[in-house]
Amino acid sequence: MCPAKTLSRSLASRVAGLDALAAPPRDEPDIPANVIEAAVAALARGETHYTDRPGIPEFRAWVADHLGQRFGLDIDPSEVTITCGSTEARFVTMTLLAEAGSAVLCPGDSSRIRGALHILGADIVDSIQDNVSLLYISPDVYRETSIELLQRAEETDWWIVYDLSFAASAPPFHPAQNEKLASRVVTINSLSADLAGWRLGWMAGSAAALRLRAGKQAITICTTAVSQWAGLEWLRSRRPDRRTAT
Amino acid sequence: MTMNANPNIPDEVRAVAADGTQLRYALMELAGQMDDVITLGRGDPDLPTPAHIVEAANRALREGRAGLTPVVGLPQLRAAIAEHMREYNGLPVGADNVMVTTGGQEGLFLAIQALIDPGDEILVPDPRYTSYDDAIRRAGGKMVMVPTDREDAFNLEAEAVEAAITPASKALLIVTPSNPTAGIVTEDRLRAIAEVCIRHNLIVIVDEIYGRIVYEPWRHFSIGSLPGMAERTITLDAFSKAYAMTGWRCGYVAAPENVIEAMARVKQVTTGPVATVSQWAGLAALTGPQDCVDEYLKIYTERRAILLDGLDRMGFAYGEPRGGLFVWADSSSTGIHAAELSYLLLKEGRVLIFPGTAFGENWREYVRITLLEPIETLKAAVERMLPVLARYRA
Repeated sequence: MCPAKTLSRSLASRVAGLDALAAPPRDEPDIPANVIEAAVAALARGETHYTDRPGIPEFRAWVADHLGQRFGLDIDPSEVTITCGSTEARFVTMTLLAEAGSAVLCPGDSSRIRGALHILGADIVDSIQDNVSLLYISPDVYRETSIELLQRAEETDWWIVYDLSFAASAPPFHPAQNEKLASRVVTINSLSADLAGWRLGWMAGSAAALRLRAGKQAITICTTAVSQWAGLEWLRSRRPDRRTAT
Repeated sequence: MTMNANPNIPDEVRAVAADGTQLRYALMELAGQMDDVITLGRGDPDLPTPAHIVEAANRALREGRAGLTPVVGLPQLRAAIAEHMREYNGLPVGADNVMVTTGGQEGLFLAIQALIDPGDEILVPDPRYTSYDDAIRRAGGKMVMVPTDREDAFNLEAEAVEAAITPASKALLIVTPSNPTAGIVTEDRLRAIAEVCIRHNLIVIVDEIYGRIVYEPWRHFSIGSLPGMAERTITLDAFSKAYAMTGWRCGYVAAPENVIEAMARVKQVTTGPVATVSQWAGLAALTGPQDCVDEYLKIYTERRAILLDGLDRMGFAYGEPRGGLFVWADSSSTGIHAAELSYLLLKEGRVLIFPGTAFGENWREYVRITLLEPIETLKAAVERMLPVLARYRA
């Protein structure tokens, strides 16, 4: 029997609008020896089983503590979910917080959310419209255009996703510092710039934190255990000038 | 027998009782807050990932092989998976028919996203693994239940499948061996079901994650190996159960090439590639010695006998568990709703099991118990449960 090339029925219509597959990057930074050894040690301890659904407590505590130190946010570790890279964090937040048929307001680069919103059936717009349900911003556009949008957000019920991953640097501002917005702000970040192959990211905060956790669980159950331990070691030992805008 | 009328059910359990997945997690969180609980709930093997697999992962890390892979997976792993699925499952597949996923759960999610349009119906044997509900709901699909029963060891009948087909039917989801029932869909039944699927042009999504854990004299059989099925079958599998690798989050899918391409496009925006270290571990699992799988099956076989003996003492009936890591037991002799029974056994017996209602709304008189503790612990669990049952049995 020959391997099958084509399904006997049509694919789902949503597939047609998704981008072709991209090749992985050829060059990646070396991984520090202490991170490798942390991974090896975790495996030796038997960290090969499911972790808690939202991630290992130590990693979640680090994220909550960091958001407190860096931005003055009051995030409980229970509001943090470790994800398979920022890709999963973006997919979960976009598809659970934006509404099908609505618009997502994105004043900057929208390439990283385009696929998730296509699957959801939501549009991307770069200016305010009546049917906006979510504002997606990153530090790269924070100063230039986002202040005005966040002021407008105070008068709406928009969710706000603040994506720190891939940002060259992060100013000390954060939309969740605004008390009127804090419960509607989800922070996304990742270690993709330095540990891409380990698939580590996170989403933190907001009144939707438990719903987002359940959404992640429905896709991948939990994030790779050994990756979490390696990532935690990287975060604890990282130098402040590293590229990731954590 | 209704749960809502019963004051013994705490609010945190009652609040999520209608959602099978959340109900399981609520009970797990309750158990996590207690001391000295024997956990026979989650399907996470207690056995270690075999040493040669861990060592292969260590080697990959120390040799700097941890960079990002293509979204469909390491080429070497895809080739090894294809070879394994040809030899073990009899599937006519090449590496282009295969992709690596972040566990079996993501494989199902991607398949549904790639295949199911809003309004499409997907036939699902009842009881079901409710963790898949969310993926189907998100795609706008509608689940149509196909009944199975204990007298038939929860085997699936072609006639029952055909009776559930409507003009909106697009796919049939099979989990064999089944989670939660531990039944298998036998080869004769699969041949008849395949004929139905070809006649009605249905796609088959088959989850075979427990396919390496089948008890004598039963045999696992892959429906995708039958004539005319390769072009309509998506086969899901993972390293999680057979090799005790749940935490590595590494699974795989075999399907027609255009389905793999579509699933990969979805995966590219859903989670990206699987963690590279896990893929090297998966490669070692498939290409290394397989004694570990046989050894673990022997352990589960011994545990199954102990647990079935315990169920006999508890007065629970069950369909023959032919595969997988669970026993699906009829608790109707207690006269207690399964959710309440699970709660009582947890609070008073310090044993975590899952109620049948976590796997389908109608399974109020069933419980799912795992084999995933050593024999002495399983024996202790039975001894803990017996007095609780005696206290509350109607």
